Amino acid sequence: MTEFSRSEEKDKILEVKNLRVEFNTYRGRVKALNGVNLDLYKREVLSLVGESGCGKSVTALTIIDLLPDNATVLGGQILLTKEDLLKKSDDEIRTIRAKRIATVFQDPMTFLNPVLTIGTQLEETFMLDKEGLKQATKLRRTKIGREREGLLRQIMSFRRTEKVKEKEDITYLEYLSLEEQSSTKSDEAQVSRGEIKGTVRALCIDVLKLVKLADPERILRQYPFELSGGMRQRAMIAMALARRPAFFIADEITTALDVTVQAQILHLLRELKDKIGSTTLMITHDLGVAAEIADRIAVMYGGHAVEATGTREIFRSPLHPYTQLLMRAIPNVTRLVESLETIPGTVPDMIDPPPGCPFHPRCPYGMVKCVEKFPETTHLDGDHEVACYLYGD
Amino acid sequence: MKRISARVRTGEWAARWADLKYTLFLLRKNVLVMSGLIISLFFIFLALTADIIVNPILATPQGYPNDSYPFERRWMWSAYSIINWGPGIALYHGPEFLPIGTDGWGRDLLQMIVLAIPVDLQNAVIIVTGAAVFGTLLGALAGYVGGVLDEAVLRITDIFLAFPSLVLALVFAALFGRSVETLRLAIILVWWPPYVRLMRGQILGEKEKSYVEALRALGAGHLRILFRHIIPNSIYPILVQATLDFGGVVLTFSALMFLGFSPTPSLPELGNLAADGYQHIFEAPWLIIFPGITMLLIALAFNLVGDGLRDVLDPRLRR
Amino acid sequence: MVFVLFGVSLIVFYLARGFPRQGFDPVAPYINPKMTSEQIAEVRRIHGFDQPLYIQYVFWLQDVLRGDWGRTGIWAQGRSVLGVFSLSFPYTVQLSVAATILTVTIGLPLGIISAVKNNKLPDHVSRIIALTGYSTPSYWFGFMLQLVFFYYFSVWGLPNLPNNLAVSPGIGTVPRVTGMPVLDGLLAGNLLYAWDAFCHLILPAFTLAFISLGFLARIVRASMLEVMRQDYITLARSKGLRERVVIYRHALKNALIPAVTLTGLFFAGLLGGALITEFVFALPGVGQLSLQAVFQGDSNFILLYTLVLAAIIVVANLVVDVAYVFLDPRIKY
Repeated sequence: MTEFSRSEEKDKILEVKNLRVEFNTYRGRVKALNGVNLDLYKREVLSLVGESGCGKSVTALTIIDLLPDNATVLGGQILLTKEDLLKKSDDEIRTIRAKRIATVFQDPMTFLNPVLTIGTQLEETFMLDKEGLKQATKLRRTKIGREREGLLRQIMSFRRTEKVKEKEDITYLEYLSLEEQSSTKSDEAQVSRGEIKGTVRALCIDVLKLVKLADPERILRQYPFELSGGMRQRAMIAMALARRPAFFIADEITTALDVTVQAQILHLLRELKDKIGSTTLMITHDLGVAAEIADRIAVMYGGHAVEATGTREIFRSPLHPYTQLLMRAIPNVTRLVESLETIPGTVPDMIDPPPGCPFHPRCPYGMVKCVEKFPETTHLDGDHEVACYLYGD
Repeated sequence: MKRISARVRTGEWAARWADLKYTLFLLRKNVLVMSGLIISLFFIFLALTADIIVNPILATPQGYPNDSYPFERRWMWSAYSIINWGPGIALYHGPEFLPIGTDGWGRDLLQMIVLAIPVDLQNAVIIVTGAAVFGTLLGALAGYVGGVLDEAVLRITDIFLAFPSLVLALVFAALFGRSVETLRLAIILVWWPPYVRLMRGQILGEKEKSYVEALRALGAGHLRILFRHIIPNSIYPILVQATLDFGGVVLTFSALMFLGFSPTPSLPELGNLAADGYQHIFEAPWLIIFPGITMLLIALAFNLVGDGLRDVLDPRLRR
Repeated sequence: MVFVLFGVSLIVFYLARGFPRQGFDPVAPYINPKMTSEQIAEVRRIHGFDQPLYIQYVFWLQDVLRGDWGRTGIWAQGRSVLGVFSLSFPYTVQLSVAATILTVTIGLPLGIISAVKNNKLPDHVSRIIALTGYSTPSYWFGFMLQLVFFYYFSVWGLPNLPNNLAVSPGIGTVPRVTGMPVLDGLLAGNLLYAWDAFCHLILPAFTLAFISLGFLARIVRASMLEVMRQDYITLARSKGLRERVVIYRHALKNALIPAVTLTGLFFAGLLGGALITEFVFALPGVGQLSLQAVFQGDSNFILLYTLVLAAIIVVANLVVDVAYVFLDPRIKY
């Protein structure tokens, strides 16, 4: 778990401001998100934690506009490097999904198409970037391209050089062709379909190697049901990596796996973070998983983000009453206790949530103010953000 | 023990009632289903009041002057009508206005159609109920008891399903005379297998659910479990199928009549009326057109309702 | 499979031979009106029709296994049942193939559109078309088509489609290879004949198709709707694929599996169910013959007809099961 130093100038890659989303159901309007504020910085892992029903998955789906038909976005902004995603057209969102945000979902059994091979499902992600493929094919033709191992790795370039730091938004491919331009002469403009197919196949094999799947050639030919749960999840991660996105969204990706496999996947994610500097929005209800891999943790409750800070900080000194009670509820395997701690009360009904701060019925410090209005976010130093009247208004 | 089962029952039925209300809500939202429902209700209303609206005596020769059908105006179209069928049509210039012409006995076709509707609907109800009840019970028993009974029922159902259905009904009808009862039986004979399969599938699924185990633990007997709990829980697909089948049965019944199995040639029944027109299609096309349209509307109405029900009751499509 | 056929044969045999007095007299094909009652009784004895039913069944089974299905009655000039049947069966096959092609061509897109634009206008429109389709009485629709496209077209001076028979009288003949007029015409190089046969096929095929496409469209719609709600569709969309790709590559492949298997069963059903259409259009198919056989009380023909069709349905079920294995990679034999 890398400590995240605030002294470096890091841009925010994603800003969610006051997002409100509602679902229209038979039983009433479910107010899923009631003003969520989030910041995601480059090259970090932000973990969104909370109980079931607090709105974490909804947040993720709203970002990529894959909400079901009965959902309405009531207000707010989602700024992806300063562009508001909520104002974009369907086609633009689709391009964003293809090129800039990749999502990995929870249950690889249901999220992979059972009648298509892994190869087909992987290839189609690569095929979306026709320009990039052409460049990659030309690169393969060069002597240097063939010498170096791992086409994708070349494209994603583990070694970050000066050029990348200057032009933050350059695609790695562009960077690579800049580097190679002087030393190669691949000036044939045309690439044949056969060559592109070969490139795609090389890319697929490489990305599967990247996620540590053994025997990638065979896996390409196999169907999802022929793989184990861990392998399927890796394949999904591979599909996300294939897009070389600005950031990943990982929606409960370890929930459907057993603990040993979970550990492997988390290890893989950490490696990827180190090697290629990926940014991830990790959604989980498991604080242990968040502790393993996240740089920052944001806690959600009742459709609000109630606290957000660095991982170490949040475990060391949780500020929001909900977070405090959560931490206290984690069983400690080293100490013997009479009974386990719980948080009294139940999760609020989101059709008719409690007014003001949704936690106030269960909060030990509830004040009159808490019922009237949800508190503004207070920024404390150490980059700790809390939304609670205990710490300011 | 009695108190526990009473509470269990209330809970279950309250849940069913809430479920029903949700179903009705979903139905109301669907325009097509509502229009189908309205049309079916209209036809049912017609069926029930046909004897009052129309003078049924006119359906028999005794209802007409001289105790015989007015043959002189058979296959005629009203001269005052706006529709012109083209050359070669016999026109009736008489005093009565016959909106859609006359049939082979000179009777007013509109009145005959109205009289035919209850005949068709009544028979359809009897047939569908018979087939559904029989098939459902058989399927429920087969599914619940399992074992040899299940195998036997499955095999027999397979045999009946392999039959080209119309032919079996035809043979049956040809053998046992041309009465309405025979026809009903013939069609029931052919329509029951799908219900067996449907019900059996449902039962097999329900049997494994935990509430059955709980009921057994409470000491409920097999019959009680089957009839009071499992069957009511599995009834929805059967209802859907029955509603959909209603239209199909009306069509099949009239098709059999059309092919010539009607007990009396002058019976007011939609297929029968059409059969009369078969010989004279180019001289009296209305004789096929209008009974056919009526059949279409009846079947369409019930199919709309059944189809809408199926959409609404599909557990995977409900929110 | 054999068991089912056995059961079918038992039931039909019981019905067809068990009630000689009601008009299904098995001796009918073998006698003529000039015979005396002693001669008739003698004929009856020779063929074993005076024996108890189960013995008759054994005789019949023996004959059938040798390939002898008996003779038809006067209505078909007393020719062998097998001969009469195989003369007309190819025509029914041709009709069913044409109807199935039409059904799939129209019904499939209808179902897909209905599912993709669920609860919007195209869905409602296609639903009405589909439901009207299978609420239509087939004889009525057949007649309406004849009325409009044959009668009124000619009255109004438009080129009209023929309303009955397989080919127009006077168009000549072609050597009989498959028994299907369109194919035979093509094989013989007689394009005029083939075209004529094709024209005669249009109306009846469309009648059958109109009724069935509704059914197919509903199944496709239901299947597609279920597939579109699956998680892997969400993933496919999240990859940034165009909606059309999502539908055709991801959704359809899953949704069509039940539809394809249904079409197979449905084609088999058409072979047996085209009775009324053949009757209305006076086509020389086997369904129309079976109608006559029923009315004339010809038990031999009915036995052959029912058994062949039951066999086809059973075989179709098997084929469909096997096809399932090939279509769905999850199923392994």
